[in-house]
Amino acid sequence: MVLIPLIRDYIDRMLQDISGMKVLILDPQTVGMVSVVYSQSDLLRKEVFLVETVDDASSSRASMAHLKAVYFLRPSSDNVQKLRRHLSAPRFAECHLFFSNILKIPQIQVLADSDEQEVVQQIQEFYADFCAIDPFHFTLNIHNNHIYMLPTVVDPPGMQSFCDRAVDGIASVFLALKRRPVIRYQRTSDVAKRIAQETSRLMYEQESGLFDFRRTENSSLLLVIDRRDDPVTPLLNQWTYQAMVHELIGIENNKVDLKEFANVPKDQQEVVLSAVQDDFFRVNMFENFGDLGMNVKRMVDDFQHLSKSSQNFQSIDDMAKFVSNYPEYRKTHGNVTKHVALVSEMSRMVEERKLMQVSQTEQELACASGQAAAFEAVTSLLNNESVSDIDRLRLVMLYALRYEKESPVQLMQLFNKLASRSAKYKSGLVQFLLKQAGVDKRTGDLYGNRDLLNIARNMARGLKVDTKVCPHSYVTFA
Amino acid sequence: MATRNRTPLFRKYRDALRHVRAPAGAPSASSSSSSPGGGPAVVEMASLLRPDRNYAPLSTDERSLLCSRGAATVGLPPAWVDVSEEISANMQRAKTKMAELAKAHAKALMPSFGDGRDDQRAIEILTHEITDLLKRSEKKLQKLSMKDSSEDSNVRKNVQRSLATDLQTLSMEFRKKQSTYLKQLRQQKEGQDGVDLEMNMNGSKSTFELEDDEFEDVGFTEVQMSKLKKSEAFTREREREIEQVAQSVNELAQIMKDLSVLVIDQGTIVDRIDYNVQNVAASVEEGYKQLQKAERTQKKGGMVMCATVLVILIFILIILLVLKKILF
Repeated sequence: MVLIPLIRDYIDRMLQDISGMKVLILDPQTVGMVSVVYSQSDLLRKEVFLVETVDDASSSRASMAHLKAVYFLRPSSDNVQKLRRHLSAPRFAECHLFFSNILKIPQIQVLADSDEQEVVQQIQEFYADFCAIDPFHFTLNIHNNHIYMLPTVVDPPGMQSFCDRAVDGIASVFLALKRRPVIRYQRTSDVAKRIAQETSRLMYEQESGLFDFRRTENSSLLLVIDRRDDPVTPLLNQWTYQAMVHELIGIENNKVDLKEFANVPKDQQEVVLSAVQDDFFRVNMFENFGDLGMNVKRMVDDFQHLSKSSQNFQSIDDMAKFVSNYPEYRKTHGNVTKHVALVSEMSRMVEERKLMQVSQTEQELACASGQAAAFEAVTSLLNNESVSDIDRLRLVMLYALRYEKESPVQLMQLFNKLASRSAKYKSGLVQFLLKQAGVDKRTGDLYGNRDLLNIARNMARGLKVDTKVCPHSYVTFA
Repeated sequence: MATRNRTPLFRKYRDALRHVRAPAGAPSASSSSSSPGGGPAVVEMASLLRPDRNYAPLSTDERSLLCSRGAATVGLPPAWVDVSEEISANMQRAKTKMAELAKAHAKALMPSFGDGRDDQRAIEILTHEITDLLKRSEKKLQKLSMKDSSEDSNVRKNVQRSLATDLQTLSMEFRKKQSTYLKQLRQQKEGQDGVDLEMNMNGSKSTFELEDDEFEDVGFTEVQMSKLKKSEAFTREREREIEQVAQSVNELAQIMKDLSVLVIDQGTIVDRIDYNVQNVAASVEEGYKQLQKAERTQKKGGMVMCATVLVILIFILIILLVLKKILF
């Protein structure tokens, strides 16, 4: 089950049957989906010489009738309207329309109506409606997804569009994989139930013809879980490469924006971290920070060795060899610079924000028990000047999640301290979190301290000292 | 991977709506197949592109169905498209010549009884031709970037990039072939001489083994002198060839250096589609702002004022002239 080749295949098929110079027209979301798996040089090889977005005002631009247009859009009503305008004043010789999800019949009728000049040669549904970041990891890039935490009555259309997008994305993943899964959802969560039911209705009733694939021996399972059942994991500081970059700097569609950092060289202000194109990254994606540092050092040493050996020119042969290997050399140089810049930025931030200490306390809050010690640790870190605001907020949240019921007085003390220390984050946020994901709302036994056996085990374990760095592991329950 | 073809449905609606809109609707020559991802009818604009252009892989499904619909806007492509096609044609020719060159190299390297001078000359000619073609393509490529028309500058830049990538791969291939030929030549030369000398040594030893030492010395020198002279001439010729090949290698290295500026590095941010799309939007906005500023400065400029004043003056003088004629 590898996602990236699926989307690449779809795009290949879009472009291969059409000969001549092409222009690729995308919408703001499909731009992200396509750029993650396909590079500009790949497009050039397929004779796509221009990429535009659907929003560009088409009427004012000159017509380029020597190009053929390939549209790859999401089937939303916005896009259909924009497409109508494009079709009524066509700029290109031909139009080939590809939609990333299931089209509704009225939309096809609208398009047929506006295609007076008959430039549309084909309309196809190619189900690539998700952003495949890594071989086993995709995202739908829904930006306002906090909306699912609010009760439905607050914003029914917003909630509906969120659910629709989620269902569409899931459906397209399974259509691309050509499987129809068995669906299971978390009983206690309304959102999970809604999404699971709508997906099941889509797959088994509405479009059952489309989803009718050959049954394989091990059928797939779609598990719909609500994040509120484990609010602890997103709050912890991460120490593996990809997770750490995302935590400290932020990765979007495999792009990292380093513009705000001072010491970054000019050509590394925005970099790409992709497991497919970058071998070093693929090997080190899940390595922890210490091992990562060693690997980066080894890479730099190798590169220095290589560059030194290629600098002594003894004869024309050496020069010729250097020139012929120059593109490779330049690529390696860029790669090494990129990783060195990233790792140095991250270690600088770790130093500044005292993340080692903070993370240790976080891990203790998440795994070990001992309420008094935890309270002491959190208070001292809150008092520490170099700890950043967001880390303080996180610590208080973690404490609140763990020791919600045990001593409300101390919790209030922490709230007050947080409010006094950081202007941006008020204690209202922590209370909102408790309301959404507090002990009453969670189903599973997150901290392993509910039933008698676990309580006994924890008491016994409290007597010996555990020195692992990151004992926290993610909870997925059967 | 699942796909669904909605073209038949679309065509049905389109025809139905067209009949509603204008009763005399022309029948559409639809030949759609309903296989997922199957080839639809492709209107091949014969005037635009040569059918044998294959420096990008074409699918086997390509049909050239000439539909007799009144194609509304059959625009002629702009002039630079011709230049780009010339470049790609040159590269095709260079590719075929390189295949020939490979064969000629192989033939020249085979041990032969003749002098092999024809082979060398053929190789020289071919090498010169290929280097010439590549240099010309490169010059044309540079010319492509000079002309500045705003409308499809993006398309032009991308065409240039893709041609530059192909040209670079071609030159690298050419250079590799040349360097392997060089290496094999050198090996052969050394090998030949080494073998020659060795054999002669052994030969002389065995023949003159039974003679005295003095006699051995004299005979060895005479036989060897002639052999040495021949191999010297041979060596000189080979040296000349190697020099020529080295020279063309240098020329190509020059081309490669120029080209490497144009080619995109794979895996960097410049290779990302969304980055390029954003940049286009940003630069279009910038250009728009500059235009507005220019408009404003022009309006404010003294030139407009002067011109208006002069025009008014002209009118006044004409009126005065007319009055003078009337009154006198």
